[in-house]
Amino acid sequence: MLDISSLSRSYVGRLVVDDVTFRVEPGRLTGFVGANGAGKTTTMRMILGVLAPSAGEVRWNGRPITTAQRRRFGYMPEERGLYPRMKVRDQLVFLARLHGISRDDASRRSLELLEHFDLADRADDVLDTLSLGNQQRVQIAASLVHRPDALVLDEPFSGLDPVAVDAMAALLATEAGDKPLLFSSHQLDLVERLCDDLVILSQGKVVAAGAVDDLRGRGPDRYRVVLDGGDAAWIRDLRGIDVRDVDGGTALVDLDGLSASELLAAVVAREPVRELSPVRQPLSAIFREVIR
Amino acid sequence: MSTVTHEPTTVTDDVRGAWRVVAEREITTRVREKSYVYSALVMIVGVVATVVLTSLLGGRPTDYTVAVTDPASAAIVSGASDVVDRTDEGSSAKPREVASAAAAEQAVRDGDVDAALVVTDDGYEVVGDDEIDPTLSAALSTVASASALQTNAEQQDIDLEQLRSGSTVAERLLDPESDDAGSRQLVAFVFLILFYVTAVTFGMSIAQSVVQEKESRIVEILAAAVPIRAMLWGKIAGNTVLALAQIVVLAVAGIAAMVAVGETELLSAVGPAVGWYVVFFVLGFVALAGLWAVAGSLASRQEDLGSTTMPGQVILFAPYLIAVVAGEGVKTVVSMLPVVSAMLMPSRMAEGGVPMWQVVLALVVNVLGAVLIVRFAARLYERTLMRTERKIGFGEALRLSD
Repeated sequence: MLDISSLSRSYVGRLVVDDVTFRVEPGRLTGFVGANGAGKTTTMRMILGVLAPSAGEVRWNGRPITTAQRRRFGYMPEERGLYPRMKVRDQLVFLARLHGISRDDASRRSLELLEHFDLADRADDVLDTLSLGNQQRVQIAASLVHRPDALVLDEPFSGLDPVAVDAMAALLATEAGDKPLLFSSHQLDLVERLCDDLVILSQGKVVAAGAVDDLRGRGPDRYRVVLDGGDAAWIRDLRGIDVRDVDGGTALVDLDGLSASELLAAVVAREPVRELSPVRQPLSAIFREVIR
Repeated sequence: MSTVTHEPTTVTDDVRGAWRVVAEREITTRVREKSYVYSALVMIVGVVATVVLTSLLGGRPTDYTVAVTDPASAAIVSGASDVVDRTDEGSSAKPREVASAAAAEQAVRDGDVDAALVVTDDGYEVVGDDEIDPTLSAALSTVASASALQTNAEQQDIDLEQLRSGSTVAERLLDPESDDAGSRQLVAFVFLILFYVTAVTFGMSIAQSVVQEKESRIVEILAAAVPIRAMLWGKIAGNTVLALAQIVVLAVAGIAAMVAVGETELLSAVGPAVGWYVVFFVLGFVALAGLWAVAGSLASRQEDLGSTTMPGQVILFAPYLIAVVAGEGVKTVVSMLPVVSAMLMPSRMAEGGVPMWQVVLALVVNVLGAVLIVRFAARLYERTLMRTERKIGFGEALRLSD
């Protein structure tokens, strides 16, 4: 398990990561979200040791992380990069060997990943000659080639078409297995769909962290009420609820003391009800709320 | 798409070995480049051509001019022309009359004539500057003694001793110290050029390799995989091996060419210097390799290399200039300083007459210098490698904190 413990980093006197603490559990996909400039990339670079923290530390299985352990991490930086004039397979084998894997094993594993991405026939082509989408696939392969103990991926879905996003999501789920996996993304719907845990960063600080379900549960219980009649304005008169919005016969209410069945009873007492349904708060709503 | 299996992976935790993987990539990528192969071939051809040409030029027909002071000597020179032609086909010798023996010597010193034939009390003397062509000397001796014997025999009817008197021809060199100085200087100069070209070629190769990784942003993946220093050691090791290989190949090609054309005398004179040259080259190159890597890490794009590699270029070019223009004293001192000694000491040794203590001192200073410079460079490299956004100046890099 990967613990980020009170990490801070300042650039020329400005604190860009401020006392960030969270945990990446093994076997759970952890999403890392935040506005541009919130400090996600800086945090990830500190986790990998590419950037030294001004304060705080990264812990691996409860102990301060060592260089050797970091070497077993898989990393996909925000700024993609490989050797443009090197053959795809050579490139992957080189990176795997840098991570300490034997040449034979590296070679086998590289081909395996290229096959997975349907790129086996391009193994001996120079990276430059591949399409951008395929280069992105090689980039992902590069972060997986040494069978890492943990994965840190900065915006792994950016630049992928919907089909590639699905393939990537499936691969990550397989590859992560029982390992900790942290990835950042701007696509909240995607994060919502994939992640088990979530860390929300705002202006260098963690403003929310935990299981996605728990985070959602934090908000008020919201229900949609649809009446048979054309005007639901009278619902505002009810006590124990907070009416968010009324639009014709439809009202959006947050429970504030009343239970769902009590609400139903109160409404039915006055007018026939066509629908009463809980409204799941989209992640984007939680996100907007916490970074406000 | 097939599924990716999870086989057990063999992993070594030995981070220290990572530099070897980096070095290996440096070497394999470079030797696959056509430009590398071609430039190496051109240099080998250049070395062999230099040796062969030097040898050929030494053996081509020569028209000798010999200063004389009287008609009798002039006649001897004219007679010697046939002998010279017999020894070395197409060659000839012709006399040039001058006023006195002193004037004849002056003409030799000035290089106006190849030698002077001067009358002495007991015969003749062939006077040369730093050397006398053996062909010419032999021819003059033969003709002069024959003519003297003939004259003596005609004038007197005396015994053999008298017959021989006045027929001795002695050689006298005005500068007997440097016998094959010309060839030695040429070899020294070729060393200098080869060091310069090889050091710049592989130095630039280090800088380019570093900036390429910054430019393509792969540097972040590399830095996450291995310590930054391991990347530096790998680059230095890989390129030093390449540069050393090239130097050894060039040295072997040069020696082979000397043997092939029969320049064994020159070979025995410069042979040990060639050995030292390789030793000094490695030390000098390693010391400077750190600075080349820093030049790469200061740049953010290939175009920045022009300015960031300037210090390295100057350090390499300075001894080249010194070797060409500076006096003996300056050369002696500079040939014992780190890095630059790698160029100057072997070329001084090829010229000959360097005391052993100076060689040892230069070696020690070089090793110390290499250690200090590489350590200093490693610090700058670590500080600047991950700053990919723009070019950084040397001064700014020195002020940066880790």
